[in-house]
Amino acid sequence: MIQIMFGSLYAMLTSPHIMGLMLLGVFLGLIVGVTPGIGGRLSIALAIPFVFGMDMVSGAVFLVTMHAVNGTSGQISSILFGVPGDGDDAATILDGYPMAKKGEAGRALGASITASGVGGIIGAIVFAVMIPILEPVVLAFSPAEFFLLAILGITFISFISGAGNIVRGLIVGLYGMILATVGMDPQTGTPRFAGDYLFLWDGLSLVTAVLALFAVPEMIALGIKGGSISSISVEGARYSYRQLFEGVMEVPRHWWLALRTSIIGAIIGMIPGLGSSAAAWFCYGHAVQTSKHPERFGKGAVEGVIAPETGSNSREGGSLLPTLFFGIPGSSGMAVLMGAFLILGIQPGPKMITEHLDLVWTLIWALVVGNLIAVGFLLFICRWVAMLTFINGAKIVPFIIVLVALGSYINEGQWENLVILVGLSVIGYGLLKAGWPRAPFVIGLVLGKIAEESLHKALDLWGVQFFVRPLSLGIIGLIVATIAFAIYKSLRPAKLFGGMGAVR
Amino acid sequence: MKSSIMKYSNSFMTVVMLAIFVVLVGIASGYPAGARFMPFVIGIPAIILGVAQLALDARERWRREHEVADTRSEIEKAEETVSRMVGHHVDFKISHEFMAGVGDEIPAEEMARRERLIWGYFLSFILGVILFGFWVAIPTFLVVFLRFQAKSSWPMSLGLSIGASLAMYFFFERLFRVVLHTGFVTDYLLSLLGR
Repeated sequence: MIQIMFGSLYAMLTSPHIMGLMLLGVFLGLIVGVTPGIGGRLSIALAIPFVFGMDMVSGAVFLVTMHAVNGTSGQISSILFGVPGDGDDAATILDGYPMAKKGEAGRALGASITASGVGGIIGAIVFAVMIPILEPVVLAFSPAEFFLLAILGITFISFISGAGNIVRGLIVGLYGMILATVGMDPQTGTPRFAGDYLFLWDGLSLVTAVLALFAVPEMIALGIKGGSISSISVEGARYSYRQLFEGVMEVPRHWWLALRTSIIGAIIGMIPGLGSSAAAWFCYGHAVQTSKHPERFGKGAVEGVIAPETGSNSREGGSLLPTLFFGIPGSSGMAVLMGAFLILGIQPGPKMITEHLDLVWTLIWALVVGNLIAVGFLLFICRWVAMLTFINGAKIVPFIIVLVALGSYINEGQWENLVILVGLSVIGYGLLKAGWPRAPFVIGLVLGKIAEESLHKALDLWGVQFFVRPLSLGIIGLIVATIAFAIYKSLRPAKLFGGMGAVR
Repeated sequence: MKSSIMKYSNSFMTVVMLAIFVVLVGIASGYPAGARFMPFVIGIPAIILGVAQLALDARERWRREHEVADTRSEIEKAEETVSRMVGHHVDFKISHEFMAGVGDEIPAEEMARRERLIWGYFLSFILGVILFGFWVAIPTFLVVFLRFQAKSSWPMSLGLSIGASLAMYFFFERLFRVVLHTGFVTDYLLSLLGR
C-alpha cells in the first residue's frame, strides 16, 4: 500500500506530461470557475472530447484537477462584487462581501482561497484514510449488487436533483438507461433501436449525449438571457498583497475550525443526496453555532468565509469515493466526471482496488497537488481573474457551441452524431425549460450498460434469488428508504436548506 | 430566467417522456426475448412513473390554484433560514445592481422570439457544418453571431472569429492530425474542380 501510495506520487511528479496537463487543468478550472455561464459540469462535458485519446491516468488527472479547483476561483466574484458564482459561493457572500465593503477585500480573498485549498487537501486525505476501511465492503460486491447499485445511483441522483420530486429524476434516469441499450444487444446480437444505421450499432455516443443534455441547453439559455453584469459597482474591490497575506494567515489562526469543517465537508461529499451547496451551508452553520460571538456573522466575520470554503472544497475529495468505488456519483458534476471516467476506460467498482489502486492514489495526489498549485496561482492572479466576471455571456455562447460540435464529431468521426446532438439537445432544452433534472440522465446512460451486463450475470448465477442475497437486500432497503424519504419530503413544506442544494 | 422557464407546463414534458418510452417499448416488443428484456425492464417502470407524474402534475396545478403563493424570492427565503440559524437578521447584501437583474421576467413573446433566434443560429451552424464542413461553418457562424447577436463591432467580430478559427485549425488539424468533416457541398464542389 505504502509503495503504491508514494510510487504514484513519484510517477506523477516526475512525468512532465502529467504535470503539464495538471497545470493546464488548474488554469482552465480556475478560469471556468469565475466565468459566468460555464459551470463545473459543463466544463467537464466540454473537456471530454479532448481527453478521449489520452491514456486513463493522464485524462483522469486532467479532469479531476480541473473539477477540483473550479470552486476555488468561484468565490472571487462573491467576495469582490457580491455576485455568487453558484450555490456553494452563496454562503461565502454572507461575510465575504461585507468584508470587502469594509475595505478588507484582500483579507477575505486570502482567507477564502487558502481555506479552499486546505479544504481540498484535507478532503483528499479523508478519502485516502477511508480506502482501507471500505476495501472489504467494495470487494464483497458481486454482479447482483452492482445491478442494484446502478438503480441506487439513479435513485440517489434523482433525489438530489429532483428538488422535491423524485419521480421526474427517475424518469430522466431511466431515459438515460434506455438510450444506453441502443446498439447491438450483447446477448442475441440484435441491433436495438438502431435500424439500418451502422453508426448506431456500437451504441449512442456518450460524449454527444452528455453535450446535448448539458452544454447545448445551457448555451441556448445563456444566449436568450444575454447581457453581462458590468453595471456592478467595483467599490471595495481594491486591495493590497499585504492584506491578501493577512487573509492567508487567518486560516492557520483558525486551524481547528478549518480542520473540522474540512472533515464535515468530506463526509457530506461521501453521502450522495446531500446536494452541492449543503456542505458550504452546513459548515457555515457549524461555524456560527460553535462561535463565542455568533452575532459577528453576516457582518464580515472571517470565520464565515473560511468555513464554507473549506467545506465545499473538501466535499470534492469525499464525493470521489462513492463515485470511484460504488459508481454512485454524489453530485451532477461527479456524474459527468464519472461519464468521462468510463469513456477513458475507468470502470468504477472493486477493480479500482484490485487493479487500479495506483490510479486511485494518483487521483488523490492530483487533488492535493492541484489544490496547492491553484492556491499559489490564484493568490497572485485573482485580481485579473476577477475581471472575467464581466464577460458578456452572449460573447461566450458561439465559442462553446463550436466546441460542442467539434467534441461531438471528433469523438467518433461521424457527422451523423451532429444530427443526434440536435435531437437530444431539443429534449435537453425541454427538460431545462420544464425545470426537470438532467443529471440522472448521465448516470442512467453511463450505468445502463454496466447494469445490463450485471443483471444478466446475476440472473445466470443465482436466478431471481439474487434479490434475496443479504447485501442485495441491504441495497434494496436503501433504494426503498430513499424513495420513501423523498415522498415524505415532498409532502412536507420545505425546511432548512430547502431549495439551496438542488443540482440540475 | 429560471422563473420564466418554470412557467412552461411540466405536463408537456411528462407527455413527451411518456411518448418516448411507449414508442421504445413498442419497438422493443418486436425484438427476440433476450434483446427486449432490458428495454422492458427499464421502459415499463418508466411508463408507470410517467403516468404517476401526470397525476402529480395535476395535483401541483390544483395546489397552485388553491393555495396562497409564497411570493418571496429565493434570496429572501434563504435570508430567513440563515437569520433563524444565526439568531439575528442577516441581510445577504448581494449587489443590488445584480439582484435587480435576477428574476426579471422576460415577456413571453420576447422569450419566444429570442428562443427561435438562438435555435436558428444553432441549427444553421450544424447544418452549415454538415453541408459545408467545419472550416467554412466555424468562421462564418462566429462572425455572424458575434456581430449581430452579441453586438460586437466588425473589427472585434472578425478578429475573434479569424483568430479562434486559426487556433482551432492549428490545434485539431495540425497538432492532433484530426481530419474534420469537410461538408457534402464542399466535397461536391471540389470534385467538380478536379480535387
